[in-house]
Amino acid sequence: MAAPPYNSSKMISAQLRNKANEFLDSRKHANNLADILQMFEMESDNYTPVLLTIEVIFTELLKRGDLFEEIVPLKPNDVTPEGQYKRWLRECYEAAWSRTVSCMTKARGGSRLQALVTACKLLQAEGRYPLEPQNGYSFPAGRLKTIFNAFLDSEILMSAPITRFQEFSEYKDVQQYGLKVLAAMSYRKSPTPIFMQNYLELLDKLLTTDIMPEIKNKDKDKDDDKEDKVLCAVKGQPSFAYNAIICRRHANRCWAFACQWPLCAEPRTQKRALLLLVEKLMPLLMKPHLATDMLCDSLDAGGPISMLALQGVLELVCHHNIDYPDIYERLYAMFEPEMFATRHKRRLLHLADIFLSSTHLPESLVAAFAKRLSRLALVAPPEDTAALLQLVANLLLRHPGLKRMICYDDTPAIMSSDPYVMEETSACASGALSSSLWEVSALRRHWLPAVASAADKVLAAADPRAAPVTVQVPDELMLFDAELKKRFKSIEMNFIRPVGASLPSGERLAHYWEIAT
Amino acid sequence: MAKTKIKRNSGLSDKVNNKKKVDLNKKKLNPFEVHINREKFKVLGQKSKHDRGLPGVSRAKAIQKRKETIGTEMKLMHKTNAFIDRRIGEKNNQLSSDDRVLARFAAERIKQYSKKNIYNLADDEILTHRGQTLEEIEKFDDPRSSDEEDEDGRKMGGLDDEFVSEGHFGGGVLSKTESKDGARSHKDLIEQLIAESKKRKAEKQKEKEQTLDLTEKLDTEWKDLQPVVFKRTKVEEPSLIDKILDKAEKRNEDYDRAMRELKFDRRGVPSDGLKNEEKVAKEEKQRLEKLEMEREMRMHAREIDKSSMPKEQNKHRSADDLDDNFELDDGPDFMLAYDKDGKPLVPEHIFKQNSGFLSSKTKFNEGISDSSDADNEHDENEESDDEKESSDEDDEEQDGHNIIGNDTEDKLNIECETDVKEKDQNMESDSSTSHKEKSIDDNDMTEKQNDDEKLDIDNDINLDNNINESEDEADDDMINFKDYQGLKQSDQESEDEIMENDEVEERISSFFDVLNSEGDNLKELLSGKTPQQQSLVLERLIKSYDPSRAENNKELLCRLYAHLLQYIDDLFSNLEEEDEVLNSFKTFKKIAPYMYDLALSNVLICKKYLCELLKKKHEDFKINKKRVPDLDTLIFFKLVSLLYATSDYRHPVATPCFVFMSEILTKCQFQSPYSISRGIFITSLLLEYTVLSKRLVPAAINFLRGILFLSTETSILNPIQVIPPFRLHKDKKVLVLEDDCNKMAEMYKMAAKDLVAKEATNEFKIRCVISSVNMLHEMFENFGDIECQECLFAPHIQLLNRLNLELYPKKVGFRISEVIQDMKQKLETKTFTLLTKEKKKPKALKLYEPDIQEVFTGRKHSKLPREKLESNKLKHKHKREMKGALREIRRDKAFIASVKIKQKIQSDNVRKEKVKQIYKEAAIQQGELNKLKRMK
Repeated sequence: MAAPPYNSSKMISAQLRNKANEFLDSRKHANNLADILQMFEMESDNYTPVLLTIEVIFTELLKRGDLFEEIVPLKPNDVTPEGQYKRWLRECYEAAWSRTVSCMTKARGGSRLQALVTACKLLQAEGRYPLEPQNGYSFPAGRLKTIFNAFLDSEILMSAPITRFQEFSEYKDVQQYGLKVLAAMSYRKSPTPIFMQNYLELLDKLLTTDIMPEIKNKDKDKDDDKEDKVLCAVKGQPSFAYNAIICRRHANRCWAFACQWPLCAEPRTQKRALLLLVEKLMPLLMKPHLATDMLCDSLDAGGPISMLALQGVLELVCHHNIDYPDIYERLYAMFEPEMFATRHKRRLLHLADIFLSSTHLPESLVAAFAKRLSRLALVAPPEDTAALLQLVANLLLRHPGLKRMICYDDTPAIMSSDPYVMEETSACASGALSSSLWEVSALRRHWLPAVASAADKVLAAADPRAAPVTVQVPDELMLFDAELKKRFKSIEMNFIRPVGASLPSGERLAHYWEIAT
Repeated sequence: MAKTKIKRNSGLSDKVNNKKKVDLNKKKLNPFEVHINREKFKVLGQKSKHDRGLPGVSRAKAIQKRKETIGTEMKLMHKTNAFIDRRIGEKNNQLSSDDRVLARFAAERIKQYSKKNIYNLADDEILTHRGQTLEEIEKFDDPRSSDEEDEDGRKMGGLDDEFVSEGHFGGGVLSKTESKDGARSHKDLIEQLIAESKKRKAEKQKEKEQTLDLTEKLDTEWKDLQPVVFKRTKVEEPSLIDKILDKAEKRNEDYDRAMRELKFDRRGVPSDGLKNEEKVAKEEKQRLEKLEMEREMRMHAREIDKSSMPKEQNKHRSADDLDDNFELDDGPDFMLAYDKDGKPLVPEHIFKQNSGFLSSKTKFNEGISDSSDADNEHDENEESDDEKESSDEDDEEQDGHNIIGNDTEDKLNIECETDVKEKDQNMESDSSTSHKEKSIDDNDMTEKQNDDEKLDIDNDINLDNNINESEDEADDDMINFKDYQGLKQSDQESEDEIMENDEVEERISSFFDVLNSEGDNLKELLSGKTPQQQSLVLERLIKSYDPSRAENNKELLCRLYAHLLQYIDDLFSNLEEEDEVLNSFKTFKKIAPYMYDLALSNVLICKKYLCELLKKKHEDFKINKKRVPDLDTLIFFKLVSLLYATSDYRHPVATPCFVFMSEILTKCQFQSPYSISRGIFITSLLLEYTVLSKRLVPAAINFLRGILFLSTETSILNPIQVIPPFRLHKDKKVLVLEDDCNKMAEMYKMAAKDLVAKEATNEFKIRCVISSVNMLHEMFENFGDIECQECLFAPHIQLLNRLNLELYPKKVGFRISEVIQDMKQKLETKTFTLLTKEKKKPKALKLYEPDIQEVFTGRKHSKLPREKLESNKLKHKHKREMKGALREIRRDKAFIASVKIKQKIQSDNVRKEKVKQIYKEAAIQQGELNKLKRMK
């Protein structure tokens, strides 16, 4: 095992498969199981074959019911060889389980993920063919708890396995029991940042599928409920009863614990928490205004964090009657060139579109936004420019008063400077309304045809028939392929043959470089 | 007063007087002359022309007119001669005698001039005959021309010396006695002479005719023979026959040479007239101007598109249309009908829209997909109207893609031929799949298969070579470099040697170019040569595969283009030394014009090759977005700017390049000299792309801002904003000049060594700063006319102000401060005009063609067809004219009769007079006679 090249690992897996088959075929080869479990003890980079073998063996055993034991209280253990064998198998199973779970934290790369999958598969098998007789729906919550423990107690970030776990958290029963288990284990006084990160991520994954917040539309959803995926369902057994209210309660409990942690200590955790809160938890919370403090603090933090918090604040303001004093000033301050580098710019643009869709806003404020957005569009990467211009067009369409910024009705006066002051922090005082959108008209000369036509559209926003369109930011680096796919009627060449490597007119490379002369 | 005036310029006054007299005559109507015609009915509003007349006057006029016309004619009847006075101005009594003389002189001059023009033909214009000037034709190389004849003729026709001396000047006593022939009369001599010359002439003529006949015969025979000769040479005979031919070759050498001379003899007639230099230059200029205009049209394509758009939409207009662009419903109506099964027959698009009637669920789905489609289209931009074209074009496009795909496959094949067999399988599978799709051109298929076969055949042979070659390739750069150094010195000396060398090489190239190995051939050809030699080789290669020579040469050239792309790629990858960079650029400089030629020869396919290459490069870039691509990518941007019109509004090659470059400038990290120098390279290329169109490239402006930011000290207290790829407090200020470089020589351009620099030296820093300042200035100038110039460039000026100019070389510092001053000044004088909408012209209501109906006249015939009416009208007119003419004739006759009677009467009177005279004289005579009688 010291030098495990590719061939040997193949050999090992073949060997293991043989052993497993032999073991499953007859009890004569019972020792094979012990051998296989022995493999865990060895130092290895790659536990995958062992894990796979274990998965095969125990699923089969569970299916056969070899592990099934009816516990009758006050009855001594039977000493028959059959009973002993069963007990030995149970012991093996427990050992294998603990090995697998420890594999999740200790092994490397692929094996970690495989360990998780194996554990979940075993979990499923056990759920379907429980070890002990149970009435009602059986779900091995204890096993799930050990898995979660492995996730949370790790000293490293478990984002890869947790992401993998999403496959299983999509099952309704896993979600419900998972939330329950997580809520039970989340009490902790001063968790490490890594714990918090793992915890938040796990919670996030558990909430991937929507929990029906209200049961008011129960009748409609009955059809859909049947299609829900349930991990441990067997035909003929009592089916799983999904209870959204319980789920919600558990989720609330999970968050209630998490709230008390110093989430805002580290920007990464904070970002994670905000993302979770904003995207998943907000509609589920019983008392969302409890999150207000956290959101407000985050909003002050600046950068991407405040962008995330903004959405939460919007939710609070819209649905929970919370008044945030100068939210528009905050939003205004967020539009800085740095926003193009962040991953959340799309979210910000979308939110800004929603925020500014109110028709009760003062014109000067909206004008300041329009002006600032178009200033930003001047320096933005092309795909963002198009989105910003769309946003500006929407502003112009929703607030007809702004049309003076693109078509001034009176005879225009010639000014010596732009009345708009970009540095002014207060949007209303920036004097944007007496300015014009010269930036947009400059963007009509943008090199990208799409941007140029978007600028045209902004300037055509005075047209009463145009309607606001939702802002879309295309993916980065997709523009190139999109342009290449465009079809043309003809391909225009230069009409003067180049002499050497310089253009007859307009050569600039040689102008600035001493190489191509 | 008035009278004196009149007297002074008497000529004028005369005229006026005459006129006045005429006027007076007109006005003074003699009441006895006026005859009033009685009107039968008074018609309101009708202007009667004939209510009054002047019968006496008009009759007198008519008689006068007849006198002048028929009268004179009658006078001149039966007379052959006529006397016409043609002296200029003789009859015009308003001309003075001086004027008359002047006029005559002028006329004389004109006459002279025109005559001169007629006969002096070759004065100012050159006459041509079949495109050749007459002067050139005057070489008279036609054997039939009379020149020769003249030469001989003079000899023949002229008298010989003997005769001249004897016949003309001979005679006299002395000579006669000396003559041996004795007395031979002069007449005899002459006769003999004439006879002789006639004979000789006839002989000559005969001979000439014979040669002419012969040449003509030969010509026709040769023409018959020509195709046979050409055909024979085209079909290359196999080597067996060569052996036999070898022996005969020596004998045939002369013959062959003569035949080749004949074969290559040019025998076409020039079709177009020869243009002189001026004309050619003028036409060239016009052509360029036209192309330039087209280019500008494309540059502003958007506006044109817009203006042309509504024309297409011009459909039906209602008479009640108010021109407010209100549309009632645009979809055309359709008739709802049902087929046999009772399903409605509805066009598909309408079905989609209206499927809500049929089933709610489908409607929902459709609705979603529809809207997304619409969104997509919306994204795609309205310019791409081609996309609305029918689906079969889509198929075509797919074809195209397939072809490209296969071609690239092919290219790959060529690149790594060591595993040809594997690839072959690939190709086969490829072709089979494409068969399934039935979307590939048949031609292409066959070609491909041919390739495969050839590959198979050549496989064994080439394998060994290829291994060697691949080894060579590995050392390619090294060899190149060494050779370059070696040859650099001996470049001029061994010019002749090079030529010989090249000739050998060319042989190789033209004979060894088997389809599959041309990539290696090319490398073999070009490696280890100076750029100049490479260009020579390339030129020959291209010439030898000129599309006019053979059918598939065009294809071959396209392949050559692809290989050249590959060659350039190889040339620019892994450059680590300054010399290597310089050498590569020199080679590129030589290759580039040929790339242009090749790309021009087949625009579509070459574009596809280039796009594929760019796509590959972009894929590589996507893998690590933070790293700036190396020169082997950047050089293709330069190539694009050399080949294609980068100023277009949207261009199939240039726009993706724009995207690529802008992505590099916005996504990459610029921290090392490697990335910074390449960034500056890209920025200068972006400037080159936009130099004509003056488009706004934010990425380049931001990049310059970043470079200036990296080269200035900024404190945390007063930061200046930068745009994302640069970070405010995180970036290391790599370009800040720390040492005093005041004494250093000034430099303005980036150098090749900057592309391979490992560390940011002081020189590097200075060069970066000065070139970015220069580029910044140019960009600034480009956007002089837009209002937001200030907000674009204000941060740059702030940054420039913080540069510690004292550390830079004097002239560099001076230049920078100059730029700052200039920019500041221009921004200060900038004016801002509020945006207004262009005032629309009020649209006029559309007017309709007037519906003209004939006025009701109550006539019977008004309902006749138009032609009939017309002809009736004409007939009527004809009748009236006839009547008038008859009347005229009658009057003429009367006039003639009256003239005749007058003459008759006159002559009668004369006769009577004469008779009376005679009688009188006779009576007198009788009286005298009687008197005499009485006297006797």
